[in-house]
Amino acid sequence: MTWVGLQMLRNDRAKFAAMIVAVSLAVFLMQNQAAILATMLSMTAAQIRDVKDADLWVTQPEVECFDQVRSLRDIELLRVRGVPGVAWAAPLVKIDAIGRSDGGRLNTVTVLGIDDASLVGLPHRMRVGQADAIRERDTAVIDPGGHELFFPGEPFRPGRSIRIRDRRIRIVGVSDAAAPFTGLPLLHTSRSTAAALSLGEAHLTSFILAKATPGSRPAEVCRRIDALGGLRARTTEGFARDAMRFYGSQGVPMLFMVTIGIGLVVGAAITGQTFLMFIKENARPLSMLKVVGTTDRQLGRMILLQGALVLGLGSCFGSAIAAAVCDLVRTQPFLRSLYLPWEIALGTCGALASVTGLALYASFRHVRALEPATVFR
Amino acid sequence: MVSDDPTAVRCTDIRRHFGEGEARVEVLCGVDHSVRRGELSFLVGPSGCGKTTLISVIAGLLEPTSGAVSLFGRNLGTMPPDERVLFRREHLGFVFQQYNLLQALTAAENAAVPLLAAGMRRLEAVDRARALLDRLGLGSRTGAYPRQLSGGQQQRVALARALVHEPRLVICDEPTAALDHATGEAVMELLATAAVHPDRAVLVVTHDSRVYHFADVIAHMDDGRIVRTEAGPSSPVPTSPFPSTAPA
Repeated sequence: MTWVGLQMLRNDRAKFAAMIVAVSLAVFLMQNQAAILATMLSMTAAQIRDVKDADLWVTQPEVECFDQVRSLRDIELLRVRGVPGVAWAAPLVKIDAIGRSDGGRLNTVTVLGIDDASLVGLPHRMRVGQADAIRERDTAVIDPGGHELFFPGEPFRPGRSIRIRDRRIRIVGVSDAAAPFTGLPLLHTSRSTAAALSLGEAHLTSFILAKATPGSRPAEVCRRIDALGGLRARTTEGFARDAMRFYGSQGVPMLFMVTIGIGLVVGAAITGQTFLMFIKENARPLSMLKVVGTTDRQLGRMILLQGALVLGLGSCFGSAIAAAVCDLVRTQPFLRSLYLPWEIALGTCGALASVTGLALYASFRHVRALEPATVFR
Repeated sequence: MVSDDPTAVRCTDIRRHFGEGEARVEVLCGVDHSVRRGELSFLVGPSGCGKTTLISVIAGLLEPTSGAVSLFGRNLGTMPPDERVLFRREHLGFVFQQYNLLQALTAAENAAVPLLAAGMRRLEAVDRARALLDRLGLGSRTGAYPRQLSGGQQQRVALARALVHEPRLVICDEPTAALDHATGEAVMELLATAAVHPDRAVLVVTHDSRVYHFADVIAHMDDGRIVRTEAGPSSPVPTSPFPSTAPA
């Protein structure tokens, strides 16, 4: 009998299409907004997670995210190195400054000064050039979004430079660093070059990157560093989570959640209403089926399958559109980090299925209550 | 299991009302009626006299307010609802005034619906339905959808649907009402030849007096009662042995 149900659905093409379009649009809207939200939150932690060779981040106690910079005294590096369980520790300098390209384009840039000796924090993937070329003084690698801002529409050409605080920094490559939340160009350079760009601050180190010795638990090492006093140590993932939580509490996610909620309600309402209308308009054929001995259980299976087909097709179309839009958008250098996690794809479809399930249940109740004798009237 | 009782349908003092208080309407006022196996029985009467309510009660689709209905010796009132549905699926076939064919299914698929409801595999069910449609003269139209069929052809598909699972009681509600006279005659001819069987009863509700000559027995109904039962022109038996209730 489930086959009969599918034929009935296929026969009413207008409603079938309307329900699939409603589910597709709802799924697309929810996935698109959820993907943007997830991407934005992950961007707040992108520069933390991009550092693969260290597993501990040490900061001033009040620092909550990568964009909050409070310098550490140089002595702190030595204190951290002396903590049992720390294999090595290296400084990372973060400076925000105005940069100007040869062509005269101005932008605020984030300069990351990496320890000259160890190069801990160097981008792992490069689009053009070699990352370790920054060992040479007054050189840097730039991220794709930064390259697009300073040299719009142009391919990378060696020898170009960006002037920062009266120093000419030569661009030796384009990194594949994750897009930063701030949207600012990201320059990876050596600590010595970064120090030359400073305004004479007494302390330059923004973060201390460290590695736990083999056999030591990073969380335990963090506790030992915290016990030194005046410092806060976190694992890479812990610091990333703190950063996401910090930005997540700023209200922006709430706006996205509202849009996602609207998508859920509108999608479920249109789908549910259309489905209920489809069932009500088929009251006579359904009554006939009851008269000829189709059980409520069989009719329930029919309705469930009809609903599952609509939800399945709509979810597939909606997810495909969301993925295609995501793929299209991420070709833009600034939006290269946009991604659609499978958890979001599955979760949004599941949420819509749950709410639409209520409409299916209402439809089933309607069918159960149908008086089969009406078919004689 | 159904018994060997020669009476296919036995209604005893069936009463049924709708609404309560001032809106209460007595539709069936103590109906006693029976239909024997092998009989083509007509239930006739003016509109609103309770014919449709009576066949709904006989089919187990409506609960009588009081009284008892037994089909082939089985009392419907003592059956749990689920069992009644299964009993109806196995032993009853229906022909409706408006055909009630599913527009999404072909003629053969429509005729196969009772078999599908009983859980038969689709291909097997459709094959059986196709063979029956062939016997009913619709062999060349088995793949047509209802909208592609004339009224008479649709009613023949409905007849095939009523017979495909070989039920023991066929209930027809105004089967010729939506058809012109010639087509109605043809459908009744088909009903009389294809549906009537020594082990099966056919109960036809109609007010189309032009087809009365097909009846073995004609029960006249008025104001919720059977007022007269008489042998039809084609009757092999004199009259129903069950006494009719005269109007008060």
